[in-house]
Amino acid sequence: MKTRVSSPFVSRVFSAPMMAAVALVLLTAPILAQVIRITPLAREDRLLVSFDVSETFTEDLREAIQSGLPTSFAYDVELRRATPLWVDRLVSSARVAATVRFDNLTRRYHVTVMHDGRVELTEVTEDEAVVRELVTSFQRLPLFSTRQLEVNADYYLRVRARTSPRSQWSMLPWDRAAALGSVRFTFIPQ
Amino acid sequence: MADPVSGPPTRSAPLNGVPPSRPPRRPFRDNPRLILVWIAVLVAALIALIVLAERSAQFSPDFLSEVVLYALTVADLTILVALGFVLARNVIKLMVERRRGLPFAHFRSKLVLALLGFTIVPALLVLLVGSELIRNSASRWFSTPVDEVLTSAREIASEYYRQRETDLGREAEHLAGELARIDLASADLETVRTIATPVVTGQHAGMVEIYRADPAGSRGSVVSVLDLAAPQMPRTFSRAVADRLASQVIAGTGERAVLEPLGDGGQLVRVAATIRPASDRPPTGVVVLSTHLEGELARNARRIVEAYEGYQQVRVLRRPLEGVYLSFFLMMTLLILVSATWLGLYLAKRITRPVQRLAAAAKEIGAGHLDHRIEPETRDEFGSLVEAFNAMASELAVSRRGLERSQLDLKEKNLEIEARRRYIEAILDRIATGVVSIDAEGRVATVNGAASRLLRLGREAIGQPAASVFGRDDLVPLARLVDRAGRDGHREVGGQEVALVLEDREVFLAVAITPLPTETGGQGLAVVLDDVTPLIRAQKVAAWRDVARRLAHEVKNPLTPIQLSAERLRRHFAAAPEPTRRLVDECSSTIIEEVDSLKQLVDEFSQFARMPAPRTVPSDVNQLVRDALGLYRGLFQELRIEPRLAPSLPVVQLDQEQFRRVIINLVDNAIEAVTGAPGGPPPGGGLVTVDTQHDVTNGVVRVIIADNGPGISDVDRGRLFLPYYSTKHRGSGLGLAIVRRIIVEHGGSIEAVPNEPHGTRMAIELPC
Repeated sequence: MKTRVSSPFVSRVFSAPMMAAVALVLLTAPILAQVIRITPLAREDRLLVSFDVSETFTEDLREAIQSGLPTSFAYDVELRRATPLWVDRLVSSARVAATVRFDNLTRRYHVTVMHDGRVELTEVTEDEAVVRELVTSFQRLPLFSTRQLEVNADYYLRVRARTSPRSQWSMLPWDRAAALGSVRFTFIPQ
Repeated sequence: MADPVSGPPTRSAPLNGVPPSRPPRRPFRDNPRLILVWIAVLVAALIALIVLAERSAQFSPDFLSEVVLYALTVADLTILVALGFVLARNVIKLMVERRRGLPFAHFRSKLVLALLGFTIVPALLVLLVGSELIRNSASRWFSTPVDEVLTSAREIASEYYRQRETDLGREAEHLAGELARIDLASADLETVRTIATPVVTGQHAGMVEIYRADPAGSRGSVVSVLDLAAPQMPRTFSRAVADRLASQVIAGTGERAVLEPLGDGGQLVRVAATIRPASDRPPTGVVVLSTHLEGELARNARRIVEAYEGYQQVRVLRRPLEGVYLSFFLMMTLLILVSATWLGLYLAKRITRPVQRLAAAAKEIGAGHLDHRIEPETRDEFGSLVEAFNAMASELAVSRRGLERSQLDLKEKNLEIEARRRYIEAILDRIATGVVSIDAEGRVATVNGAASRLLRLGREAIGQPAASVFGRDDLVPLARLVDRAGRDGHREVGGQEVALVLEDREVFLAVAITPLPTETGGQGLAVVLDDVTPLIRAQKVAAWRDVARRLAHEVKNPLTPIQLSAERLRRHFAAAPEPTRRLVDECSSTIIEEVDSLKQLVDEFSQFARMPAPRTVPSDVNQLVRDALGLYRGLFQELRIEPRLAPSLPVVQLDQEQFRRVIINLVDNAIEAVTGAPGGPPPGGGLVTVDTQHDVTNGVVRVIIADNGPGISDVDRGRLFLPYYSTKHRGSGLGLAIVRRIIVEHGGSIEAVPNEPHGTRMAIELPC
């Protein structure tokens, strides 16, 4: 499977209407969306997805966690296929979520990681670095089956990250992504 | 008429069956109940907002920042969009109304702008100031001392717990080391109890729980071996917590310490340690030591932590929380703005709508729809105004009908006057009397046909100054009369006879000038002209006939004695000597010849004076002409007499003898004009032609005798038909006078005109 650097999202985002929309968002939202590094990998009949969003672990988030607020990191992973002159087709999607709660009395972090609503991991740790790793870096998550993919066809993965609670305020009522990223690939079975 | 405004407003009755125009019903805006409901909803929303703001302190910060903030933002944006829509719609409507020039569009625009300005400006100012106040207040929530106190307290509480965990962990490690010396799977319970009891009795821990690994079980599976608890330990703890901790620790998948809350508010600090016979061997069991934290202590520690976390959470969520309060404030402002805007627009419509309806109705009335009425919507001053308008429209309708009747009468009268005017105009145009009217400014106003013919005036004379029109050379005598009448203060001038020479013809006019009052109060002149030329001529002829008769009578009587005396003298001197006899013969012959000549002259006079009335019979003009010309056949060598007779002529009533005499007289004159010319007949020979023509259009038979002689001068031609006027050296000068008289007595006319290229044409017109 080959991975290309060029992203359809990047080209699309620079269209005139989108630029106007982005300008509006920039005016009203002080947080800039981060770009997520995504790596797809086909193994056997699963598409393993790795992504890293360590940039989203900002000082604001750290303070929110330290304040004892239950802080969640939600990642919507979408597998799409580009469709000319139309909305890209959604092949499959998955949701990865991580929740952190810091106990200020015991100084321990309670981390829960879920995939599509299933609890995959629960961990209590005192190490902040471990927490950061657990909630922002995901390696080889078997999120999608490759059986629904067409050989030698171009796809792209898009990951949208959201954090809660928001430490910033925007007049825009809709939920904004804290980070966005996508990567194109051609499916070649191993 | 009663003052419609002063009385109480009454419903106007339909006029002539036309119902008053009803304003279009608007189901939402014209429904007072619905409006009250809307006002109630708005007030309820404001109250709910105030209550929500009051209770917002009870909500958790994340609930405020996530749920409440989201809901408020959505509500704010919705209200903002609604406000923008309402404003844009009304602004566009006002612009369209202004562009279309609808009545009161400018006034309504100003009213709406003023009302909006009165509302929006203070509301925005309050919003700005309030927002700044909220921001400043939020910044005062946090202060360094409070932060430090809370952090220190949290550190103390946390450190205490940590210390208790550390101590307990050390004891657990020590006990685990002791137990590692025995085989838990095979050792008896008393041995284990002996090792563990000092831990409890020495108050190093409140409770000891010992587990051994279960090799037959799954990973992390443990079996409880011994539980030892101090008497002061509460019994409300959960054994499952210790079991889970043991299992987790032996599996190496979790933390070694856990804090278990108890029902009395206290807490159990549990710490686990693995029992490992050697460092390179797997654990054989787990020791869990627990110590009890009193309820008050735990509660205080938890309270400290909660206070710290609450403070920190507010600090972290400061901006969203500010957003919540700003959204509250913004929503209040927007609700006020929406209410004020709606109220402003509603008031503007309430004020301008009746006026617009009045303006529209006035337009209808102006367009002539006088039966248009407005139904009053209210009983207030606008209602009175509408009633007054309806009353005015009724009065207008009545006046209009009266006016229409008057117009109809006037139109009929105008038509009658017009008909009369045309009748008079037709009469004036057809009468033989010429009429020229001159207005007060001295310009020619009208010239009837007779005047135009008599004075040779064209239509272009109308509108010209009378002085210039009558200033023409041939009209000077008339101009003097007109001028005199004008100068004498428009004094009436009657029966003045004026002789004019028009186109070389002498015309006699009887002129009467009458002052003519004009519509503007001035005075013009009416100049009445009668052509009395025939009358004058007839008078002259009658005078001449009288002279001829007297002359014939007075002259003829002595002629016979003279002639007889001359003959007697000649006979008496017949025997006288030759010289005497010859002298007497010569003298008596002369006397007798002259007397004969005088007799002939007297006979002509007598004939002119006693000319009988014509005895007309139906006659063939061509035949009469041929008979007359037959007398000249073969008489002249150098003169041709050519009859050019029309192939068919109608029968004409003629006195054949008199007509033949006319033809002979005129042909004689023509022959004499050609042959008696000073240079003799013209080259190519003399020519006399007699043409007969039938003019169907004018109903006349025309006989034209033309010669190619030298012609007659213009002056002679004008007097040609007067008695005793002759261009010849001999003759009585009565020939053409008799000819003219014969023709006139036949109802015809004769005129002499120049022939082309030279000569004279005598043209006779006889009615047929």
